[in-house]
Amino acid sequence: MLASTPFTIALRDVLGERFRVHPDDCARSAVGGVVPKLVLSPRTLDEAARAVKIIAGEHASVVIRGAGTKSNRPPRRAEIDAVIDTSELRGVLEHKPGDLTATVAAGTPLQDLQFALRRYGQFFPSDAPFAASASLGGTLAANANGALRQRYGALRDNVLGVRLALSDGLVAFSGAKVVKSVAGYDTHKAFIGSRGTLGLIGEVTIKVAPLPATQRLLVASFADCASACAAATAIAGSPLFVMAMTLHDAGAAARVPALRASGAPPWTLAVRCGGSRVATVAQFDGAAALCKETGSDALRDIPAELVEPLWADIAELSAGAAYDPQSYVMAKFVAPPAQTHALVGAVRTAWPEAQISAHPYAGVLLAHIPAASASPQPGALWHACADNQWTVEFLSAPYARAQEFIAPLPAGLPMKVQRRLKAALDPAGTFDAGGFIGGI
Amino acid sequence: MDAAFIKRLQVIVGAAHTLSASADLRNYQYDGSVDQALPEVVVLPGSASEVAAVVAACNERGYPFLARGAGTGLSGGAVPESGGVVISTARLHRILEVDVANRLALVEPGVVNAEITAAVKQHGLCFIPDPSSQAACTIGGNIAENSGGLHCLAYGVTTNHTLGVEVVTPEGELVWLGGRTVDMPGYDLLGLFVGSEGTLGIATKIVVKLTPIQEAARTMLAVFDSVEDASQSVSAIIAAGIIPGALEMMDRTSTQAVEAFAHAGFPTDAEAILIVEVDGMAVAVDETAADVRDVCRRNHAREVRLAQTADERDRIWKGRKGAFGAMGRLSRNFYVQDGVIPRSLLPEMLREIAAISERHGLRICNVFHAGDGNLHPLILFDERKPGDVERAVVAGEEILRACIERGGSVSGEHGVGTEKRDCMALQFSPRDLELMSRIKLVFGNTGLCNPQKIFPTSRRCGESSRRLHRLEPEVAAAAGPAF
Repeated sequence: MLASTPFTIALRDVLGERFRVHPDDCARSAVGGVVPKLVLSPRTLDEAARAVKIIAGEHASVVIRGAGTKSNRPPRRAEIDAVIDTSELRGVLEHKPGDLTATVAAGTPLQDLQFALRRYGQFFPSDAPFAASASLGGTLAANANGALRQRYGALRDNVLGVRLALSDGLVAFSGAKVVKSVAGYDTHKAFIGSRGTLGLIGEVTIKVAPLPATQRLLVASFADCASACAAATAIAGSPLFVMAMTLHDAGAAARVPALRASGAPPWTLAVRCGGSRVATVAQFDGAAALCKETGSDALRDIPAELVEPLWADIAELSAGAAYDPQSYVMAKFVAPPAQTHALVGAVRTAWPEAQISAHPYAGVLLAHIPAASASPQPGALWHACADNQWTVEFLSAPYARAQEFIAPLPAGLPMKVQRRLKAALDPAGTFDAGGFIGGI
Repeated sequence: MDAAFIKRLQVIVGAAHTLSASADLRNYQYDGSVDQALPEVVVLPGSASEVAAVVAACNERGYPFLARGAGTGLSGGAVPESGGVVISTARLHRILEVDVANRLALVEPGVVNAEITAAVKQHGLCFIPDPSSQAACTIGGNIAENSGGLHCLAYGVTTNHTLGVEVVTPEGELVWLGGRTVDMPGYDLLGLFVGSEGTLGIATKIVVKLTPIQEAARTMLAVFDSVEDASQSVSAIIAAGIIPGALEMMDRTSTQAVEAFAHAGFPTDAEAILIVEVDGMAVAVDETAADVRDVCRRNHAREVRLAQTADERDRIWKGRKGAFGAMGRLSRNFYVQDGVIPRSLLPEMLREIAAISERHGLRICNVFHAGDGNLHPLILFDERKPGDVERAVVAGEEILRACIERGGSVSGEHGVGTEKRDCMALQFSPRDLELMSRIKLVFGNTGLCNPQKIFPTSRRCGESSRRLHRLEPEVAAAAGPAF
């Protein structure tokens, strides 16, 4: 059907030559190793909406692809009809430094966005992974939060509005372009974390933040996980308001040269401090004191100029971008933050070879398990998750084993409402039917 | 409403908690707006399952229903325009759990906002959203309206401080959206629900995030001889990379009205004042305060006064929070707007409001959240004067249009409800509204759950509004209504 002449003519009418059908050309836009039959590269959201409508009319399915950095996430699709490549939807459309807002095309690489904002002493306060190539839209669709959420909030807290397209061609705006608005439903919030299954995020209005005047990084070594988690809990509950914290076991820390320099202790807690010079010093000293109190055996002080490059490495590590997706399975767990230590124990028991990083403020744990030894259905761990209301998702798995790694859904998740949302916005299931949780 | 149905409600919640006498119903016909409508029956359920049973009974018989907290809302969200059943959360007022280590609390919807912070303060924690009505308004209402507050500039509004809600859906099912952890798998239904003004269901339990209390705060009063300089200072403070905890502005008329009763120490001859509160670590706040002072001085503040005592600080905030109540001294009626503009456009927007005021021959006072561009222009009028009401309505619409033309919003925090539903089309295209209407289907659109709110009717903006306040000065000043 997709190869029929009327269909091609209709697409050409909308996209000109900006679609590809030759397998060699389509291979560049593979998702999870699956080469689509058709790749569309719209330059505007309206173009994208019209093209999707044509495809939906053929009862074909569409997978949205930004930079492809998170395409190893299970479930793996058996085949893909069409991919929308958002890389041509690019650019900071508007930046209002005085209002601390910006409107950005969804395919814009995060790195380009940060570069544009930095000239004004501002940044998008997210240390999402794959920062060198990931797009803003893909980052939002994956809800790929980093540890900076501690001070600045999660991605959902920093998105003010989204212009989006549905599979029936409807292009609409949800939210506002100002920092405060309660008019109407926040439909755009549902798109954050929707993994492209509700519609296409086209343009995003975000909150931006001033860069802190100065920064410092505390790297604290701990002999055991309990002490490191105790330090993290104390810091999170204190009025220090540090920027972010990450926690790493020895295997994970060894992947970052600057952390390795601490001599590969069993556990490393990295605490990013920032603000005015006085505030930064006070945060650092306060965090260091709490680490000592809870048993840290060594503290290192990373000076201002090295903080951002080192944190860039740490952000990739704690989010898993530092691991070969064909050799490691990556699982994300979330617990109430004070249960991070218990969660680490349960994960370690299930997968002794896992390398563990965590964002202890949020209770987020990321486990990288060597694929060769990874049991996809660790029964005792799943029971612990159910008993403690911990959640689990697999973020990445090697192609060959992708179908094995399906995480259990949290008990009580209102699946009927979840399904109705999909049905309300994408009734024909055009956007990656079956690609979301619970087969949605 | 038939006796059999009322009897059924009595069986569900108890006869003592079912009100149907007209004297009782009159207490439930209003909220903080002036729209009024009588419910046919009021129930006060004592548990989530009772709420669910009441909703199921309403669905069976086709009666509309809505939830009501403290009735402090400002847009008619809790006014039962279609009659039917009002479900009061007054008996659901328990703080069920405080989890200090995980910085969260599990509460029922009828818990008063300020009680949460009062309960956790001893642990060095607080609940951030602090609408001025926080001594009365309930967390359930905050969830419905996505309430803000004076300190939401730096720390965000209700949706940013909510982890999960247990909800009775419009179909009467009990479900959890979100939970006790972040990043719950699945679509962010919690994000859809918070701020949906009671149209997508009724919250029966809420998990709120708690935040450590800042070590120190400094409150300043900056005094200006021109509105222009004050609003330039707002932009300059933000541009300097300072995000104050709160950043409020009052013009001369407002300041004079407030000072007459609150004795907050506001200069009555100044064209505008800014109230700036910075917070943070004890060792750092003085430096930030000095930075703010310098910015204000560079923008021609004639005085920047730092509150020296807790009493002085409290008086400043009391003056600010009592501003709307004080308007009763100036005018028989007022009409308040809640529009938002990009904050950098404050100077030109205030000029625009002055021009609208002049054009219609009506005084307009400005008391507002300058830091996030959330305006509260108060249009003063006298309903007894022929043509005043009509002119106030037109002036209000012109202000909202001016906000939208500048890329803003028709409501920053008061909600749409009945009051602004016919202004929605100013901000949202038919396609945007079509998208919203699909969301109604998601939670089960029976047409009975707080009907006729948010979505436009066939009237034009302003026409449906009855939001024209009549305040007795003494009552107003004593109550200090919440804005």
